[in-house]
Amino acid sequence: MTIRLETLRECLEGAVPGVIATCAPDGMPNVTSLSQVQYVDGEHVALSYQFFNKTRRNILANPTVRVSVIHPRTAAQYRLTLRYLRTETEGPLFEAMKAKLAGIASHEGMAGIFRLLGADVHRVLAIEAVPGAPLPPPLPMARLTALRTASARLAAAPDLETLLTATLDGLEEAFEIRHTMVLMLDNAGARLYTLASRGYETSGVGSEIPLGQGVIGVCASMGVPVRIGHATSEYAYGRTVRRGAEDVGMGAMLDTQIPLPGLPMPASQMAVPIQVRGRVLGVIHVESPQDLRFSYDDEDALMVLAAQIGLAMLDFEAPPETPEEPAAELRPSGVPAECGGDRPLQVRHFAEDDSIFLDGDYLIKGVAGSIFWALVKDHVTQQRTTFNNKELRLDPRIRLPDLSDNLEARLVLLGRRLAERNACVRMEKTGRGRFRLAVGRALELVDVPAS
Amino acid sequence: MSHASHPWVTETLVSFLQGGVSISVAARGPDNLASMSRACGCRFSRDRRKLTIFLSRIQAAELLRDVAADGRIAVVISDPATHRSWQFKGTDASVAALGRGDASRLQAYVESFVRSTESLGYSPALIRALFSNPPGAGEPEHWAAVTFTPTCAFSQTPGIAAGNPLEGNP
Repeated sequence: MTIRLETLRECLEGAVPGVIATCAPDGMPNVTSLSQVQYVDGEHVALSYQFFNKTRRNILANPTVRVSVIHPRTAAQYRLTLRYLRTETEGPLFEAMKAKLAGIASHEGMAGIFRLLGADVHRVLAIEAVPGAPLPPPLPMARLTALRTASARLAAAPDLETLLTATLDGLEEAFEIRHTMVLMLDNAGARLYTLASRGYETSGVGSEIPLGQGVIGVCASMGVPVRIGHATSEYAYGRTVRRGAEDVGMGAMLDTQIPLPGLPMPASQMAVPIQVRGRVLGVIHVESPQDLRFSYDDEDALMVLAAQIGLAMLDFEAPPETPEEPAAELRPSGVPAECGGDRPLQVRHFAEDDSIFLDGDYLIKGVAGSIFWALVKDHVTQQRTTFNNKELRLDPRIRLPDLSDNLEARLVLLGRRLAERNACVRMEKTGRGRFRLAVGRALELVDVPAS
Repeated sequence: MSHASHPWVTETLVSFLQGGVSISVAARGPDNLASMSRACGCRFSRDRRKLTIFLSRIQAAELLRDVAADGRIAVVISDPATHRSWQFKGTDASVAALGRGDASRLQAYVESFVRSTESLGYSPALIRALFSNPPGAGEPEHWAAVTFTPTCAFSQTPGIAAGNPLEGNP
């Protein structure tokens, strides 16, 4: 029976190191352990190239090699015959392997020594099961059932707000993943902002992370799932965020106003891109204090969910087909009762970065800040309370970076920040693409022009 | 006992090889394709000039054929906890039946590997399964002893020094 590479993926998680055997052109064999064998597709694997050593010289001179891998739960051994094809030194595969290797290196006490120089892509020519007496395989995890459950929740979501809750519910209940977040890409700002999270002390909605940094940033910039099985400071948040702020040269003040949610030192992390027609919209990020918590199968399942989420996001972004649909019944205003003071609420807007402060407390900046400023101005000058997405999209005061920017996501972000701050101004959805601004106190607007 | 021709076979190295170390072997097959297998223990000859490793005749069938036909061999021995590794190579490898005392060495090796990997989180059952022949092939005749004269030895501990010959390397 031919063994399919997909069925061996658990052997490639690095729980038991693999071994590679090569032959020099003069016939002298060489054998050494391998840090990483990465599944690429049903016919290819990539080996981590870390040192220019004998193995490397042999591979380049005599490209047909042998690799043995061991199943971490049954001890079943497999020997793969591989043919070296090429080395990738940048791009999605390289970055995904680099991140994974950082976790392996740190776990093995080899941080700073294991460094990925390249991803050596090999074609799998043959797979042989080594005869032995392996342990019985553990019961399967039934991830397809979990996927179906989570997918059904997503399909029922009528809007982005519900979709986000359904995503986190599905991950928690069907996949038992308890630390989760959804981030959206801000193309112009080359950063991602947190739109929803679950399993942290504070939600971190509105917190930002630069594109290309950490597990999340690499996932978004490369459009590739990134999965790490062991704690590594190289991809830890705290450092990423600090370094990011320095790199971008921004006043770190605002960037750290909303701390990014995250476990202090997660053992396992996985970020999968939310991608539609080749365009990255955002990232689903999950983490766990447990080593090797997320498998290739989890990665597959989350990729499928992310594809469904991406399509739903595009759908919510499209203008409604029936613009005259009757307004939904107004829900009671979410404005807190203690808002009824005489003193007006001061809304301060800094034009330089569209940051908004409510009575001196930071609320939001960027596109969401410019939206809020336009809403409150119209409210104060024209006593308007109802708005729709279509007019906002055309409003020159709102600096939507480009057409692909997700306005709906900015509105959800703004709405969530207002609710979390228990602000005296709230946004209430009144129908598809429409909402009401509920204002519990008089507003005093202060605009600080850009210097 | 004379160690004159192999000054790098030190007491430290000998005791290292007798601990719970991981042993992998490669040989040269037809068309310069390497064959490989995991070994189940090893011993030095009394004069420390020859190294013998133990291999399952069932799991290492291809490699044993290649060794018998070609004689060239590479063996990497590493400590799973520290990654300290050595690679030995030779050109005169030959295949024989287990010698006296080898069957118990084989058993002792598995138990010592169980001990050295248990603290790393591997279950004893998993490690014993790793060194098990298929059911019905547990007798000494199902194992082979491969002996060779190491003609060179390299440190293979990951890092800058990987691949450097051991001091006094012939």
